[in-house]
Amino acid sequence: MSHTLHVNGQQHTTDVDGAMPLLWFLRDTLELTGTKYGCGMGLCGACIVHLDGEAVQSCLVTLSEADGKKVTTIEGLSEDGSHPLQIAWLHNNVSQCGYCQPGQIMKAADLLRQNPAPSVGDIDAAMEGNLCRCGTYLRVRKAIADAAGQMNGGAK
Amino acid sequence: MSTLHKEMRTISRRDFLKATGLATGGLFIGVSLPMGVLGSAGSTGFEPGAFIHIAANGDTTLYCGRCEMGQGISTALPAAVADELEADWTRVTVLQGDADKKYGPQSTGGSQSINQMLEPMRKAGAAGREMLIAAAAQTWNVPPGKCHAKSHVVYNRVDERSLPYGELVALASTLPVPSDPVLKTRDQFQYIGKSIQRHDQQDMVVGRRIYGADKKVPGLKYAAIRHVPVLGATVKSVDRSAVEGMQGVVDVVVIPRFENPYGSVGGVAVVADNTWTATEALAKLKIEFEMGKNASYDTDAYKKQLVSNVEAPAKIEFEKGSLDQAFAEAKVRHKATYVGGHISHSPIEPMASLAWVQQDKCEIWASTQDPESIQKTVGAYLGREAEQIVVHVMAAGGAFGRKHMCDYVQEAAALSKAVGAPVQLTWSREEDTRTGYYHSCSAQHIEASVDAGGKLTGWLHRAAFPPIASLFNPAAEQPSADDLGAVSKHPYGIGNMRVESGLAPAHTRIGWFRSVYHVFWGFAINAFTDELAHEAGVDSLQFFRNIYDSNNDAEQAEQVKRSRAVLDKAAEMAGWGKQLPANHGMGIAVHHSFASYAAMVVHVEVVGKAIRVHRVDCAVDCGLVLNPDIATAQMEGAVVMGMSLALHPEISLKNGAVVNSNFHDYPLLTISEAPSVINVEFIGQDYRSTGIGEPGVPTLAPALANAIFAASGKRCRSLPIELV
Repeated sequence: MSHTLHVNGQQHTTDVDGAMPLLWFLRDTLELTGTKYGCGMGLCGACIVHLDGEAVQSCLVTLSEADGKKVTTIEGLSEDGSHPLQIAWLHNNVSQCGYCQPGQIMKAADLLRQNPAPSVGDIDAAMEGNLCRCGTYLRVRKAIADAAGQMNGGAK
Repeated sequence: MSTLHKEMRTISRRDFLKATGLATGGLFIGVSLPMGVLGSAGSTGFEPGAFIHIAANGDTTLYCGRCEMGQGISTALPAAVADELEADWTRVTVLQGDADKKYGPQSTGGSQSINQMLEPMRKAGAAGREMLIAAAAQTWNVPPGKCHAKSHVVYNRVDERSLPYGELVALASTLPVPSDPVLKTRDQFQYIGKSIQRHDQQDMVVGRRIYGADKKVPGLKYAAIRHVPVLGATVKSVDRSAVEGMQGVVDVVVIPRFENPYGSVGGVAVVADNTWTATEALAKLKIEFEMGKNASYDTDAYKKQLVSNVEAPAKIEFEKGSLDQAFAEAKVRHKATYVGGHISHSPIEPMASLAWVQQDKCEIWASTQDPESIQKTVGAYLGREAEQIVVHVMAAGGAFGRKHMCDYVQEAAALSKAVGAPVQLTWSREEDTRTGYYHSCSAQHIEASVDAGGKLTGWLHRAAFPPIASLFNPAAEQPSADDLGAVSKHPYGIGNMRVESGLAPAHTRIGWFRSVYHVFWGFAINAFTDELAHEAGVDSLQFFRNIYDSNNDAEQAEQVKRSRAVLDKAAEMAGWGKQLPANHGMGIAVHHSFASYAAMVVHVEVVGKAIRVHRVDCAVDCGLVLNPDIATAQMEGAVVMGMSLALHPEISLKNGAVVNSNFHDYPLLTISEAPSVINVEFIGQDYRSTGIGEPGVPTLAPALANAIFAASGKRCRSLPIELV
């Protein structure tokens, strides 16, 4: 049975097994490697993408479940890296190794969609499932707050 | 660190520089580097080294020979070269060098990249600048002293003429290389000491940065692996019937243990069309193991044994003064035993590598800290010369010491050889957690004396931990005198001292984890000092100060001064001694490691068993800081890693096998647990630059333990910390 996905605005029809997690379809089949494997159990957040606009752990979503839906990966978050979160990430030099950061940014984008002016507590609660072994958490907090300020039209 | 990773000494300062004019019209400047002892004890010598390339149009490429794993070295070092070169940073592209002797030692660890490489790399940049100036002077027929370079242009001071670098490259590359180029002074720096942006940040935020796990080549196959659960176990049988005919499966391959310190422990792998199919097929295999001699390893029992081994006389490795006399004359005597568990590095990118083994070529793409070891290990496995193994150094998605070892790369090579195709092997998180090179578990027993004047007079320190040397020599069953150097040479400079080594044979692989043995040295020494201060009835900060102030050993004068300075700075930053709310407390710790100095004050709140770290103030002396923002990030990371190892479970083994598996039972610190504030300040910038990757970690856990005592009256003598 074939599946059709809309990934970053492009339609892909595939015959691969519908039980395959979206993560591996993105990484191995489409070679969109910005979405990372970290745990395979929804525990680290490195694989977060948007499915019809909502953040999901792509290691836990099967191709069948994503059939017919719109998938946005880090490569498709903005045309040219101009999403306010991406800019805030650069401005704050958030990344160290950078491996978890696509997942952090995709999760943060979902947070700001739902809550345009999150408190520190809101940020912590939303980002709790995104692990960073380098320890960039304080900069993640700051970058999200900065991006929220920017998106609300008045960066302080 | 261990004998193999002891702090690297520069064998010789006799750098030589070499320039090569290229047919393409560019200028290459290499630099010879003193070889370190990292990974190759005893070897010294000189090899041609890292390169600067300036193209005829002036575009400049700086190659980074050291591996990038998030610590920012591929920005900090090239920026220093660019500074001396008077290059315009916007014209510079940084490329990661493949494994190649021309870059000098590439093994990246021990916080040595800056310590070892900064001066020769600055000289390479300065030599380039002087050659470009000489070329301009020759063109204008003026003395070089009448010219100066700035931002990719040479100016003539006499008549204001100028020539851009690109136009000087052809002539410059024909000129002799200055043997001792003049380095800039601090007031002349353009990039050194400035927080210029890391060159790789943009790629990271758009998902374009390619890590070892991300590399693709045509015809790529994907693999999943399950290792033997116990060190020394073997695969007895594999029932493949469940995967026969399974669509997408290429092969099932048994990988035997490769008897090499960095080789595979052995296991069973499936090669398939994609990672998911390989993983699914692997789960269907019925595998039987022969567990072998380590199958009784139990970390709970083992740590109890280590405690017994240090609470009784052990092998004396260092002695000075008279401990008996100091103890006899003591006003205060105190003793305590500290215990630490195994730690896994657990980078978010698990072990991953792509290998393509062909008849006449072997090409590797890997996240690694040590491409030379890959060449040696894979070369030994394939029976080929190390130089025949082409290693492309990919960005590492975290490493923390684990990616020094290249078992995962050798396995990818074994799989590629077996199936005759390029193979990308990505370990599952479970395999990453269970097949580590773990931080040593440890026990330390300290007894000390304080005299009537409040002076620390005697210190007995017994330590037992499986040493990293056990990887290379199975007879290494306890810490060596060298391993104990952090205690015997500690800048406390206590007059009466005995250091003893307790038995601790390894039953699992032990490796370098960020800060290595300093994690537990820093913990025990600082936590015990705080206990002593309490026993002596002296404020902890004052007690630390008194110890350093009592050290009159001239050879330790600089260490004392710098330790004391970071201690005072951290205390000042934190407002040490100020009134705190109930259940709040501050703790302080200071530690000298990897040629740098760090002190931290942790401000904690303890309610029941709940520990909340509100704020951490860090004072660091790593000499002149190349890039303050990157260095600050390293300290922030050290705080988070230190908290993670202090507050989250250790790696436990039962029946020889690791019990933990994934982030639910080996949780890392999360954002909501991170402190609200981490302040970092750098002092001592007149000293030469030293490392910053590791020196921050050792102070967090003891400062936290001491803060918990201040807040709750409870002493924490184990890592991870367990509040009862």
